[in-house]
Amino acid sequence: MVRALHSSLLLIPLIFVLQTAHGQDKKNISGNFTGYTFPRLVDYLEKNTPFTFYYDPKEVDSIFINIQVTNASLRQLLDLVFQGTALHYAIDSSGRVFVSNRVTIRTALPPGFFSRDKDTIALIKEPAEEDNPAQKTKFKASEEFQLIAVGDKNARSATGKATLAGYIRDIATGEAIVGAFLTVDTPAVSVVTDQFGYYTLSLPKGRHHIRITSQGMTPTRRQIQLYSDGKLDINLKEYVANLKAVVVTAEKTSNTRSLQMGVNRLSISTIKQVPAAFGEADVLKVILTLPGVTSAGEASNGFNVRGGSVDQNLILLDDATIYNPSHLFGFFSAFNPDIVKGIELYKSAIPEKYGGRLSSVLDVSMLDGNNKKWTGNVGIGPLTSKIFLQGPIKKEKTTLVLGLRSTYSDWLLKNIPNSAYSNSSANFYDANLRLTHIINSRNTIYLMGYASKDKFNFNNDTTYRYSNANANIKWKHFFSPRSYGLFTAGIDRYEYSISDTRDSTSAFKLGFDIRQTYVRADLNYNPGNKHSFNYGISSIYYQLHPGYYDPVGPHSIVVPDKVGSEQALESALHIGDQYAVNTRLSFSAGLRFSLFNYLGPHDVYGYAPGQPRQINTIVDTTTYGNNKVIKTYSAPEIRLSARYNLPGEASIKFSYNTLQQYIHMLSNTVTVSPTDIWKLSDPSIKPQSGDQFSLGYYRNLQSNTIELSIEVYYKRLKNFLDYKSGAELVLNHHIETEVFTTRGKAYGAELLIKKTTGRLNGWLSYTWSRTFLRQDDPLAGELVNKGKFYPASFDKPHAANLIGNYALSHRYSFSLNVVYSTGRPITLPLAIFNLGGSPGLYYSARNAYRIPDYFRTDLSVNIDGNHKVKQRFHNSWSAGIYNLTGRQNAYSVYFVQENGLVKGYKMSILGTPIPFVTYNLKF
Amino acid sequence: MLIAFRKYSMILWLALLVSDCKKPYDPPAIVGPNNYLVVDGVINTGPNSVTIINLNRTRNLNDTIVTGIPELGAQISIVDRNGATYSLIDSAGKGLYSSSPLTLDPAGQYKIEITTSDSRQYRSDFVTPNATPPIDSVFYEQPRDFTLYLTTHDPANSTHYYRWDYLQTWEHDSRYQSPWELRRGQVWAKDPDSGSQQTDRCWTTTMSNTILLGNTTALSRDLVDKMPIITMINNDLRLDIAYYILVRQYALTKDAYNYWQLIQKTSQQVGTLFDLQPTQLTGNIYCTTNPNEPVIGYMSASSIQQAHFYIENYQLKAWPHYIYMEGCPTHEARRLSPDDFHSWLYPDTAYGPYYFVSNGPLIVAPKRCLDCRSQGGTNVKPSFMP
Repeated sequence: MVRALHSSLLLIPLIFVLQTAHGQDKKNISGNFTGYTFPRLVDYLEKNTPFTFYYDPKEVDSIFINIQVTNASLRQLLDLVFQGTALHYAIDSSGRVFVSNRVTIRTALPPGFFSRDKDTIALIKEPAEEDNPAQKTKFKASEEFQLIAVGDKNARSATGKATLAGYIRDIATGEAIVGAFLTVDTPAVSVVTDQFGYYTLSLPKGRHHIRITSQGMTPTRRQIQLYSDGKLDINLKEYVANLKAVVVTAEKTSNTRSLQMGVNRLSISTIKQVPAAFGEADVLKVILTLPGVTSAGEASNGFNVRGGSVDQNLILLDDATIYNPSHLFGFFSAFNPDIVKGIELYKSAIPEKYGGRLSSVLDVSMLDGNNKKWTGNVGIGPLTSKIFLQGPIKKEKTTLVLGLRSTYSDWLLKNIPNSAYSNSSANFYDANLRLTHIINSRNTIYLMGYASKDKFNFNNDTTYRYSNANANIKWKHFFSPRSYGLFTAGIDRYEYSISDTRDSTSAFKLGFDIRQTYVRADLNYNPGNKHSFNYGISSIYYQLHPGYYDPVGPHSIVVPDKVGSEQALESALHIGDQYAVNTRLSFSAGLRFSLFNYLGPHDVYGYAPGQPRQINTIVDTTTYGNNKVIKTYSAPEIRLSARYNLPGEASIKFSYNTLQQYIHMLSNTVTVSPTDIWKLSDPSIKPQSGDQFSLGYYRNLQSNTIELSIEVYYKRLKNFLDYKSGAELVLNHHIETEVFTTRGKAYGAELLIKKTTGRLNGWLSYTWSRTFLRQDDPLAGELVNKGKFYPASFDKPHAANLIGNYALSHRYSFSLNVVYSTGRPITLPLAIFNLGGSPGLYYSARNAYRIPDYFRTDLSVNIDGNHKVKQRFHNSWSAGIYNLTGRQNAYSVYFVQENGLVKGYKMSILGTPIPFVTYNLKF
Repeated sequence: MLIAFRKYSMILWLALLVSDCKKPYDPPAIVGPNNYLVVDGVINTGPNSVTIINLNRTRNLNDTIVTGIPELGAQISIVDRNGATYSLIDSAGKGLYSSSPLTLDPAGQYKIEITTSDSRQYRSDFVTPNATPPIDSVFYEQPRDFTLYLTTHDPANSTHYYRWDYLQTWEHDSRYQSPWELRRGQVWAKDPDSGSQQTDRCWTTTMSNTILLGNTTALSRDLVDKMPIITMINNDLRLDIAYYILVRQYALTKDAYNYWQLIQKTSQQVGTLFDLQPTQLTGNIYCTTNPNEPVIGYMSASSIQQAHFYIENYQLKAWPHYIYMEGCPTHEARRLSPDDFHSWLYPDTAYGPYYFVSNGPLIVAPKRCLDCRSQGGTNVKPSFMP
């Protein structure tokens, strides 16, 4: 007799009545059950023993029995039958056998059961699943415990290896899941999905168990019978019940097992947990809480990674380079949180497919979009409004993601009873578009577009404008399941301008722009699990207008000025291999060869040989024609990393990188400001180069709930640019006379402790890092700091961050964010002197002093409505205080001449506790 | 379709924007006292020449005095390689220390040694004198504004680095010329025999206040052609009547040139639209008592060449003699008694006699408008003015 029973129905009611039943389990079963299905075995057992079986036929339909036993007990027999599956069984005192998937049914109450609080019960029971048990059971039964046949059953050989490949996607939205882990125990293999959620696994033919884990998703597993090369797409379900716990599952394996080091991967759900000023999740602000990442201060654009300058970060939004990643001078990041899928920040082992920047690569990926149904978001606030839409234009074929965000903060400024504010205006917008079209299983086209514009005017004074515009198209093509190529073409543009039209005779507009057109091909080939090859070619054509100064209006007597445009072609070839020697040791080795051609038309100044580069040492001017190669630089770049797994959940990783950078940001301020100038390497300005050694130790404690990592690094920089005394950068026709090259060294240690589960979770990071520069330019004409090392302007020795979340219950939680860092170095004017009839300022040694340390605490309380999945309205509140202690952190320190005196001022913004409330209502 | 409706609280932006976020920043490092020694001068290696060193101190950023604080009571001497010393004396007590006329060997090496009144000791590196080539010509062009140029060259092609400074003197009149003056509270005609001083015409002398540098290293000849020394926009009062300028030329070493170039940059530093990179000065003068104490200045040794230039207003094109009357109101004053022509009543003592109206009142004007010295300068004609 067969009685089918839904597993979830078993869970609660039966717990109370079941008893253990050892007495009945006699060793009296003998027989040859080879070729039996489970129902047939049950049939046999129910006829020949007093046991009655309760099970779901769907859960057992993949079990094939190949057992012979003599005088075995029922337990012994079932242990053999269920070996290697996720099925469990329980036998009660009445001789009833319950077969369950994944969860062992307790036939007795656990000790102290009735003294436990409600939360514990909630953990014993599968949370949030009672809403729709039927659907869930179906999902699990049909996929997790079915034996899935992959490949051609009639394949000639049953031995040897075959390749399994496919996509890991979100079941609800069809969104590809990046960085999901697929693990097979025998042979021990683990692979990670790529940026498209694609994986390839090479396995011996036969039966395998694959575990799939990913951040924020419910872990799942698949049983496959691999006959030959084949495809297996896996859909993951979002982990609904306890968002805090989500992060856990995903990263616990990746931390110690991933080959990559110095990489931080965050999903948007993690980003959204960090308290942010004004309740708007901010990608860049969260990056600043990671070890090794600092910024110049509050609301500053850009960030510094491991003692690198702001321009040494390659910021990519779906492969488009974003030159200015901020809005409103850093109050908001340029990335609309609605459209962000996740971020990856590479700090040390930078994959060979990336290049052109020395410090880091920040890869922000956009959502692919829901390919199943249309969903959206409308946000209305006092400062910004947003609309977000995603959905299939053609179901499971063509998907659109559209995000728009805009401010209208002018009215708020106008209402402030202070003329400096009411005469100001500030606004920005950004727009994101992404289109994914699946032509067939081998070809997919992706189209992205991004546009942003900022305009800021303070007290009817100078108007600052800047804008980003980016678009690209990608074609992904599978040559075979083991090999695919990604072909990208795109254009990026960034421009800024400053204008002042108050006085009609001196009305001017000063501006700058950068445009880059690029093509790239990235190919991937996985011959087996031991090797994974990446290779490709890329080319970027730069066009820069380093500055123009034009009159505005008919009455302006401003004399137009224009710095000659610059062109260059940066090309690179790359090849890399990830090689898993065995389960403990793996390597990644890559080589990138970059080639930079500085191209005409351009007028190049020649300087007297051996003389300092100064205006009065210019000896000639050479005019180069269109596309004429003026100067070529090239260099091989090495990318090496290795991982060795230690016993227990621990590993050691090592990496060594060399990098080249051909485009430089010139700035007199420490942050990205609209007056920064980008400059290409030219005959006088050599490319920056650098290398980095890093070593890390990773350990997971307390059954993977606590992650510990320590990374140390040592970096060397060559030809890093710093500025001569009194350098003038804006509209300078011979900027090489204002800069000098330095050699730099940066070193540091980063400590990260992360608690991923439990009521209390979060992370604590501490970074000790130093960056020093030393003038290394015989042609500079002056010797800064007497030729000795001095701290770089972004040198911040100590930085600590605490992100903590504490869940009082499922509905109430607290989040705390504490930030501390040493103040950045500053060169102070110390005295006024008169020499040769002329007054002047006497400054300290370069960067000899520091502005005050930075400290800030943010607190927020999150109150969720109920957790029922199927209800009309979902609401949640988030309230908090930004800068709880009200510390007036220095945003900038500057000196101005007032009535003949030189006065110092410290400007702080957000220098008071700022309360915020966010209310979310979804329907 | 799922729609999320969001509302942000707006308290925050108000709080943020209204709060006063600019605070004075005075870290201990800039509060001082940062009174560093400034050594300003050149060891003059010309024949029978006087070396003048101006010794003063820097002032704090928020000190209100506008010039350097003279350093008095110091002992300064020029020391050569052989140990011979030549003292400099501050005879006027203004921090200007001068030597007696010396003829230093241009092939020697010299340093300066200073002991301040608080017994702190300073010294410069030994410097090798540069021979300064003579100035070829000083001339002007005046398309509209006036620019004075200088041309010089070194036939030996070895100087390369130049610095110039100048002393300029211009003649200027008081706003109102008056034949009357107040003597013991009474109005009298001016009379040199009674000790009256003329106050109608003055001569103001100032030193250059910009750093003028030249560099010929990129040229095949050591030639400075048409170096602009000073530019005056049309109507500049300095060319109102007569103008005299003495331009001095110093040859520099490369290091000294680089130092002066930094001074040039830092003097232009304050008050520009875009912040400039701070300048760091490393000179060749050190405090031996405390090696960490900064000393400002770069000691050079060279002969000094000079050239002068004189021009009067009539020689210029369209440079009107401009009479500046603003801020000089006149009033009538009452005679105290009809018999006493010397006693006039005007309560405001800032006023003085201007002219008499025939059989009428005395017209008075502010004293500063009657005395050219109120605009600076001296009422004694300098000997070098033709």
